[in-house]
This record gives sequence, structure tokens and C-alpha cells, in this order.
Amino acid sequence: MSDKGEVDLTGAKQNTGVWLVKVPKYLSQQWAKATGRGEVGKLRICKNQGKAEVSFTLNEELTTLDTIGQKSSMVRAPREHPFTLQTVGGQTLAVFTENSSDSSLDKIALEGVVVQRAECRPAVSENYMRLKKLQIEELSKPLRFSQQLDKAVTTNYKPVANHAYNLDYEKKKKEEGKRARADKQQVLDMLFSAFEKHQYYNIKDLVDITKQPVIYLKEILRDIGIYNVKGTHKNTWELKPEYRHYQNEEKSD
Amino acid sequence: MQIGSSSSSATEYVVRVPKNTSKKYNIMAFNAGDKVSCSTWTQARMERDMSNRRIYGEEETPDGAAGSEFGKKQREEARRKKYGIVTKEFKVEDQPWILKVNGKAGRRFKGLKKGGVTENASYYIFTQCADGAFEAFPVHSWYNFTPQAKHRTLTAEEAEEEWGRRNKVVNHFSIMLQRRLRQQEQGEEEEEEGEKGGKKKKKKGGRGGDLRIHDLEDDLEMSSDESDGSNGDDDEAKSKAKQDKGPKGKGKKKKKKKGSDLEGFEDSDDGDFEGLEVDYMSDESSSEEEEPEKPKPSKGEDVPKGIDEMSESEEESEEENKNEEDGKEEEEEEDGKKTPVQVEKKKKKDSSGESDSSEDSDIEGEAASALFMKKRTPPKRGGVRGSAGSSRTGSRPGTPSIDSAATSNTLRAAANKLEQGKRQTTVPSSETPATKRLKMEPSPQSSSGKSTPQPVSGKSTPSSSDVLLTEDAVRRYLIRKPMTTKDLLKKFQTKRTGLSSEQTVNVLAQILKRLNPERKNINDKMHFYLTE
Repeated sequence: MSDKGEVDLTGAKQNTGVWLVKVPKYLSQQWAKATGRGEVGKLRICKNQGKAEVSFTLNEELTTLDTIGQKSSMVRAPREHPFTLQTVGGQTLAVFTENSSDSSLDKIALEGVVVQRAECRPAVSENYMRLKKLQIEELSKPLRFSQQLDKAVTTNYKPVANHAYNLDYEKKKKEEGKRARADKQQVLDMLFSAFEKHQYYNIKDLVDITKQPVIYLKEILRDIGIYNVKGTHKNTWELKPEYRHYQNEEKSD
Repeated sequence: MQIGSSSSSATEYVVRVPKNTSKKYNIMAFNAGDKVSCSTWTQARMERDMSNRRIYGEEETPDGAAGSEFGKKQREEARRKKYGIVTKEFKVEDQPWILKVNGKAGRRFKGLKKGGVTENASYYIFTQCADGAFEAFPVHSWYNFTPQAKHRTLTAEEAEEEWGRRNKVVNHFSIMLQRRLRQQEQGEEEEEEGEKGGKKKKKKGGRGGDLRIHDLEDDLEMSSDESDGSNGDDDEAKSKAKQDKGPKGKGKKKKKKKGSDLEGFEDSDDGDFEGLEVDYMSDESSSEEEEPEKPKPSKGEDVPKGIDEMSESEEESEEENKNEEDGKEEEEEEDGKKTPVQVEKKKKKDSSGESDSSEDSDIEGEAASALFMKKRTPPKRGGVRGSAGSSRTGSRPGTPSIDSAATSNTLRAAANKLEQGKRQTTVPSSETPATKRLKMEPSPQSSSGKSTPQPVSGKSTPSSSDVLLTEDAVRRYLIRKPMTTKDLLKKFQTKRTGLSSEQTVNVLAQILKRLNPERKNINDKMHFYLTE
């Protein structure tokens, strides 16, 4: 098992040279559509009297663009892409990979060092121009736009005598009725178990938990608890120190 | 299809873009100047830097059981929504990398994610496979790696201070040395003695440590060697600082910490400070924390009034102080007094050139310590004076007893100054009018005449005093509550006691020596108190 954080330096040791190529967005989109083994095209390197000329040719089947709307059939991705070669300069660019297939351990490996930088440019052609035009049109559309309506919208809110939600609420309230005072011991039990879970409680929450009338509940609380007026836990009730036993998770009575 | 030109050799390679890799390719970019060569790496470790997690994670309150509140989380969330506070999520993906190369002794790098890499164009890594075909992998993220300094660096405040002293500081090595010593000092307040001893040595050599400039205050400082060391350094530092800041006592803080001030200080030329006004007050009051700045505050008050006078007297006292300390360096090495430090400092000053002081004088804040300037002059003539030190000691009436008894340094200093002033009416910096010096002479002399304490009683009683600076009074104050020297000085204002500030300082120092109160550090200030 590899040590987490340990970097595999085989690529660096071998001084594997790689190329860093900047590729246009549409081209990378096309490449993503590649099938099978992933072959996307051919790279042609010509040594022309000392100067190297590199050019990439996109495979035929990948030139169809699923662009927006109507013009998909008309415009195709250009096929020829000469590379503009650049030097790395003084900068040291290394390539490292993160292997996250093992969910727990990320294996980090140094794949190599960049020896050449290049830019993949499409060969300028009519086709390309059309594609670009399409792209620009697409981008220039605002995300939101205003549209005038013919008729006023009347379907959303209609006036009602009383909202359905309100009716339900009132019904529920009627059902529940006023809270009845339960046995003091029972209430105490409920309180203690509640305070076991949390130290500070709002009076409203306690009422909710115990379903007791507020006044009665306050009486009981005054016996066993204290009310925090200041500090971080403002306006909260907590058990008196003698009743607390938070470390051991016990309660004393 | 393009046809290759006939005169060139062309080779075609298949380009593949593998689809199923779980490996994410990233770029690790280093700066050209860092000279990073991956082939030299024998071993490397890289992890995400999670130090930002707590910022994003918000303060976590205990969940459940003690300390927690019912429904706290929901309430917090509702509150945040109500106020529209949007907190950015902590994404592990975006966190920086920490790269450690070649183990502990190797280099460290921090890799910050570069944004916007994949927005408009994609980067691909083309690697050549065994079969000659190229495989292209998309670059997931780009990280810029920068080397991290392993050496200690200054904090922002310290850096600003050093920047202000850049023209004066010549010995750059001691900047960090002092900072380290300062840190040590803070960390080991208990072991001051031992450390200070060591520090002193160091300071001698490298002028490190927090030396504080003390003039008469040194006498009042009854803390451990630490203060001594600090004092010595501070003095020089103070002078430097004085140059920089104005004659305001605010310069103290800086001075306290500026061991590096020494550098500039030492380089000052003697005559550079001629004619410069001295702010006696600010000078003295350099150290706020430990050193009792009793004399300083009171003097500071008087600054507007008799600044010239004070500066004059200060000069004298400074000179005297210096000289004396020079002579007493050995004796007082382990003393709790600051004089040794001052002596040390002087020594240093003597040894090193003082070229920078000329710069100092040019620098703004000329009204700054004539004190320092005066101090400097003495060292210059240190050679002369040093030799006269012994003779000085002998010729001083009553001072030997004081010295050996290690009574108030102020007394000694005052006495010294007197001697110096008397002896070197011609030699000393011309900036000191003889009149001023003479003026100071009588008082220190009278005080020095008394080998034992209670100079107050010996001296002329204050004419119209509401408050008498007596041992009893001080005792009362100290019993009631702990006070700093500053506080005590405030109680015995010169207007009310009728004593001059210097006298007050002297007397108070004496009294404190006699009382030998307990010391306590409250809010980084040294307080004295008595328990009856």
C-alpha cells in the first residue's frame, strides 16, 4: 500500500518528455466524442530544413458538430490544425497525476516534464469562419431577455376567503387543544432526557418537546434549571449544576 | 488532405485520446528563477494544505450534550439566509498543495491552483507511447509551485521597522539573530539569568537581544539581567530610534526591540550630532514594559519646557553613564542593573565604526535624542575615557562606595557625569554648553556625596512641596497595590515635590533599592509591590 502523499517519481527520473498543447474548445469537445480506442486524428511532424512543422488532422467522423440549432449540418469542424510550437522557457513544468480510483488513497505520480509547448490552431478556412460566426452568435445572446405578454397572467393567484393552509392550521390547533398539565414527575423525566441531548434549550423548544403549558413548565424549570440571560447562550434554559452530569452522560435528580 | 513538401521528412503519428482514465493530469509549474530540476529529486511527498478548512468550516460548537443548544444549527442557517451571508464552500479540490522534496532537509513548495485554465481552451498533455502513437490527456488543473522559505522571516511589523532603519543598519546578519533572541527571551522568562548571560555574550559579539536603552532608568530597573542586556542594547537602539522618531516617548517601544538599532548606532560619527536637539525624555522612556520608566515619563512631561536644559543635562548624564559603565562592565556583569548593558553597548560602539551616525543625523527626527548623540560621543572618546575610568572611579568622591555597594546606578551615573563633565569640559561634544553641564553638576554631586541613600533627606528639602518623595510614601503606595515605575513617578510629580526630574529618578531609584519590593509582571509591565 503506497504511503498517502508519497509521490511516484518514475516519470521524473526517466525525464519523460511531454508536450503541453493548448487546444480550442470545440476541438476538445470533438475529441470527447471519440469512439473505440479513442483515436481522434493524426499528427504529422515535418522536419523542414531544421524547422519542425507539426500539424494535426482531425478524423473525418469527428468533424460533425452538434451545435446549436439549425445550422448543424452546414458547419463542420475544420480538420487541419497546424501547431504553433513554443519553448518552455526557463519555467519548469512538470506533469503529475492524481489517481483517485482508490477512494481512500490518492496516488500521486510524476509523469514527466514538459519539453515543448504548442498551440493547436485551426487552419483558417471558410468553414472555420462559419463555425466561429455561429459561436459568436450563440454567445452574444443574453441569458435573460424580456418578453412582452399579450394577456395578463391570471392563473397563479386567485383571491380566496381563507387559504387552504390556514384552514388546515386552525383545524390542527383545534384538535390539539390546550396543553394539559401532565404529572410533574413525567415532565421532569421528559426534561431530563431532553437536557441529556443538549445543554441549552429555548423555552419555546421545551414547550414543544414537553407539550406543557408555558407557565407550568416554567415553574418546573425554575426548580431544576437556570435561565441564562447573558453570554453566548442567551435566553436559554439549562439544568442546574447539581443536576448536570454531562461527562458521564448521567443525570441526577 | 495536406501534402507534405518534398524536401522534408514527414512522419505521421496517430493521436489517441484515451477515454477511461481515472487519472487526472495536472500541471506543476515552477518559476524559472527557482532552478528546479525534477531529476534531482530522490523522494517527494505531496499533500493538500488543509489549513483553510477552519475558515470555511465556521466555528464548530459542540454538537449534542454539553455546550450545545437545541436547534442551534437550524437557527444559524436561518440567520445566515436572512442576512444573505453566503459562505464559500471548502472545496478540497481547490486547496493548495504542499510539496516536500528530499525529506526534511530538502525543499518545500506550495502549489496554488491557477484559476481560469480550463475556461476558454483546454490544455492537453501529449505523450508518446511505445507504439509511436501520441496519447493526449486533458489537463485538469494547473498549480503554480513556489518554494517556501525555510529560514526565519520577519513578521510584517518587524519588517516595517527594519525598513525604517534600512539606511542605518549595516550588519544585516544581526537582524535575524536579534529576532531569534527576542523570541527566546519571550519564551523563557523564567530563565532570564542564564540566558541573559549568554545573550550578553552574544550581544557583545553580534549585538543581538533586546537591549533597551536606559539612561538613569537603568538604575531603577531592578529586574534581572534580561533588562540589563536589553538595556544596553536598547540604549543604542534608542539612540537610533530617536533619530528616527521624534523626541516623543513613543519611540520607546521600538527602541526596546531594536537590537539592530545598534548597528546604525555604532556607526554614527561623533560630530554628527552636534547641534542636534536632544529629547532627554523620550530617550529615557524607551522601554515601556520592563524598564521602569519613571524618570522618563516625568521627564517627558517636562519636554516642552526645558528641553535644551534637559538635553544638556542628559548629555552629561549620558556621557557619565557611559563612561562609568565602561569601567564597571565587569563588575556589573551579573548585576540586575542596566549599566553593564550600557557599558557593553558602549564597548560595541567603540569597536565598530560609527559611520552610520552621520546618516542618522541626516535622517528626519533630528530633534531626537541628543541623548543618544551624547551617548555616542562618549564612546568615541571611549578610548580616552576608558583609561580614565579607573582614575575616574578613584577620583570620584564617595562614589566608590556607591559602586561597590551597587547602589542606585543613577547616583553613580550622575556622579560619573559630574566627573566627566568636569574633566572634559573641553573634550565633550561641543554641543553641550558648559553651563548646562555645570548646572547638573551640583545636584548629582550633592547626591553622590552621600554614599548611602536618602538623598532626599540629604538634599535640599523641596521648597513648596505637597508631596515628599520619601521611602515611607513609596512604601505606602506599594503596599496598597502593585505599581509600575511610571506610576510611582506620576505620584511624585516634580512640581509637587520640588525635585527635578533627574533628582526624582535618582531618589526613587534609591528608595526602591532599599525597599527591594516584589516584582510582578502584569500586562507585560513590571509592577512592584510590597506585602506587609
